[in-house]
Amino acid sequence: MIAYTIRRILIAVPTLIIVLTITFILVRIAPGDPAEVRLGDYATKESVEALRKEMGLDKSMWAQYLETLKGLLHGDFGRSMINGRPISEEIKRSLPYTVQLTLMGIIFGAIFGIPTGVYTALKRNTLSDYIGRTLSLGGLSFPTFYLGILLMFAFSIKIPIFPVVGGGDIHNLADNLHHLALPGLTLGLIMTAYVTRMARSSVLNTLNEDYVRTARAKGLTERKVIYKHLLRNSLLAITALIGVYAIVLIGGSVMVEIVFSRPGLGKMMIGALKQRDYTTLQAVMIIFASLVVLINLITDLTYGLIDPRVRYK
Amino acid sequence: MKKMKVMFSTVLGFGVLLCLLVPLAVGSGGVLKIALDAADISDIHPHYAHTTQDRGVVHLIFNGLVRYKTGDIGKFEPDLAESWEVSEDGLTWTFHLRHGVMVHPWKGNPGYELTSEDVVYSFQSAANPAKSGCAGGYVGMSFEAVDPYTVRVTLKKPLSETLFLPRVTDYMGGLVIPKKPAEELGEGFRTNPVGTGPFIFKKYLPKEKVITVRNEKYFRGVPKLEGVEVFFMSDLSSRKFGLRSKELDVIEGPPSQPWVEEMQALPGVKVDVFGPGEAGVLYFNVTKKPFDDIRVRRAIGYSISRDEVATTIGKTIAAPIYSPIPPPQAGFLTRAEVKLRGQQEGKDLLYDLDRKKARKLLADAGFPKGLTTEFYMTERGEYAIPMQNVVAQLRESGINAKMITIDHATYHHNIRADMNTIVLYNCWRASADMKLTHMYHSGSIVVTGKKPISNFIHLGKVDADEDGKVDSIDYLIEAARDMLDAQGQRALWQEAQYKLIDWCVSYPLFIKRFTYARQKYVDWGYDLKSTLILSPQINELTSISK
Repeated sequence: MIAYTIRRILIAVPTLIIVLTITFILVRIAPGDPAEVRLGDYATKESVEALRKEMGLDKSMWAQYLETLKGLLHGDFGRSMINGRPISEEIKRSLPYTVQLTLMGIIFGAIFGIPTGVYTALKRNTLSDYIGRTLSLGGLSFPTFYLGILLMFAFSIKIPIFPVVGGGDIHNLADNLHHLALPGLTLGLIMTAYVTRMARSSVLNTLNEDYVRTARAKGLTERKVIYKHLLRNSLLAITALIGVYAIVLIGGSVMVEIVFSRPGLGKMMIGALKQRDYTTLQAVMIIFASLVVLINLITDLTYGLIDPRVRYK
Repeated sequence: MKKMKVMFSTVLGFGVLLCLLVPLAVGSGGVLKIALDAADISDIHPHYAHTTQDRGVVHLIFNGLVRYKTGDIGKFEPDLAESWEVSEDGLTWTFHLRHGVMVHPWKGNPGYELTSEDVVYSFQSAANPAKSGCAGGYVGMSFEAVDPYTVRVTLKKPLSETLFLPRVTDYMGGLVIPKKPAEELGEGFRTNPVGTGPFIFKKYLPKEKVITVRNEKYFRGVPKLEGVEVFFMSDLSSRKFGLRSKELDVIEGPPSQPWVEEMQALPGVKVDVFGPGEAGVLYFNVTKKPFDDIRVRRAIGYSISRDEVATTIGKTIAAPIYSPIPPPQAGFLTRAEVKLRGQQEGKDLLYDLDRKKARKLLADAGFPKGLTTEFYMTERGEYAIPMQNVVAQLRESGINAKMITIDHATYHHNIRADMNTIVLYNCWRASADMKLTHMYHSGSIVVTGKKPISNFIHLGKVDADEDGKVDSIDYLIEAARDMLDAQGQRALWQEAQYKLIDWCVSYPLFIKRFTYARQKYVDWGYDLKSTLILSPQINELTSISK
């Protein structure tokens, strides 16, 4: 398993280089110039050229690319082209907010989605099933930002119990969680919808398996059939899909961070995009790609824990 | 049944957990929280600060030698300088500094008294293109410390008070950066500014906010607020909910009448609509067909109702304008003045809506069935909304103008790369000279000018009135710049504008003011009519009384 993990990490390196290369090319061929953005309307051509030189934008694309790559291989993301601060500092500050938001979404989705999915599958074609399916379909069709706004209206304006601005102090657990509640709920509800639907279909597939019929024929209690045979076998598919949706959730966190004005990688990325902050944008894309690789790896490794038949070669 | 119980317990448990996370309501106390429509600062070094959010922050921290009267940019008043005088030849300006102005403490340094050495350093820095984004405004000026409290500025060419004072006011290069912290912090000064203003920079949380605390040693007295937090929130709904939940005290609004009315209807909320505003003017690229034809440009003029465009933005926010220099800036023209001049010359300079005339002009220009053109437009509402209205109005006259919507940074890049046929540009410039120079002087022609800025028309290199000669207003701009007499200067600016209107190289549309909503318990401490930082000024007089 260790060898497998190392191999997967090594395979991730070219993936990340490809992401960097694509991002590097895309941001540079897009119109707009960080020097123009930073200096504004009053700037003379000389000032813009001087700043372009200072930013290293006067060098060839190839030279800039190699410099960026060299920096990244040394763990240096460089400095923001707009505010001049080290990007690693900004990432260090933003990453925990995005991670905790995504984690809250996944945990919420798993806690509520799996039981609801299992329950609706077991009660197939009953009223509970119809309600569960309708709600999950509603959740899937709901735009994240709109759900966020509705929750803000409900729990910050009508019942003023949660804040809507910022992410709270990361070093103050109560304050941090207080600020996390609504954004987490927004992502969590969306994730619940996804998980409910996939848990339901996975359980329905497993219900028709021979071993479930055999277990029932043996006279096992329904509880044992569900927990020992049905749920355990369904979990493999559910885990794989949670991994996939966790990646979707990272994308969803961008909108949530904007709507709740919450610090995080998503807000950082949108800001960098608007300001044509090439270096920050590249760094954020690399981090996002690394998160995706990491989640995939964790998902793959989890298979072995759930299903002993899975062997890592 | 047991499963149901497990599920119920889980839901209940999660609910209890959420409720435990609800601490007591947090009050803002003496700290004013203002949210601006921005993703982040661009630069809070005052000599680079050019966006509204940057200016909103630097204005808390820095002072100029002179300042625009708080809340009314029509008047100048002393700031770091107690008084000043100008030599008879207009070449030497002498400023006498206040005593006891303290520079904020920084990184273990307790601060010190600001002297002429700091002021000279600051202006020399502002004039250096490698250290400033506004160096162009200080060309031909030298700065000298006569004694610790006297600064002398010597000009190569004399400038009138109208043109000189804006360069030493509390705006961009005029904001004084103290020498010692600027030199010590170097590049770090950009995100850790140190000044002399009513509030001291405390912390910058990227993409979130800037935190300042009051300057107990401020020379105008201790500020009433304990501090100011400037939030960067690009989502309007978030700002609105922040205000409604009282987490925010002041929020920036969009130029939208429905928003103004919605905010005014909220209990405990007050809306400020203030100037000077941004003038929205259409600029025609005369090098591109069919806009090289004056008849086409005039046909566009006759196809637009300025009143309708202004109403689209908002009846309490926008108003039509008739000259490139917008009111209340020195040199602007009223509708009556433009009309009168037209009557005197036997011309129609107003270009009021007249579709019949527009169609005839198009037919004369060889477009009897109308014409089709396309242009880039930013996605930002303050541009896109009025432009959508313009496009709809043009269609009525048979002009099919297709908007290609792109993001704001790309729009600014494209128009400066000479890629547009029609450019809508919303801006306010510190003086008529600056506006005319940036938009109409031949040196400012985009891409090919000596100092390319924003002459999208290419005026100065094109034959605007089709008389076979190149047309320019350079000589009027330069003559006005050299004139010391305010009245004569204004007359030259007006003369330049009559020419622009006659040639129809640009079409002044509207002046759009700024909208902010605040809790009623926020008192600015002054009458907010206009401010050059384009957001409400927060100073030692501003208070919160909950």
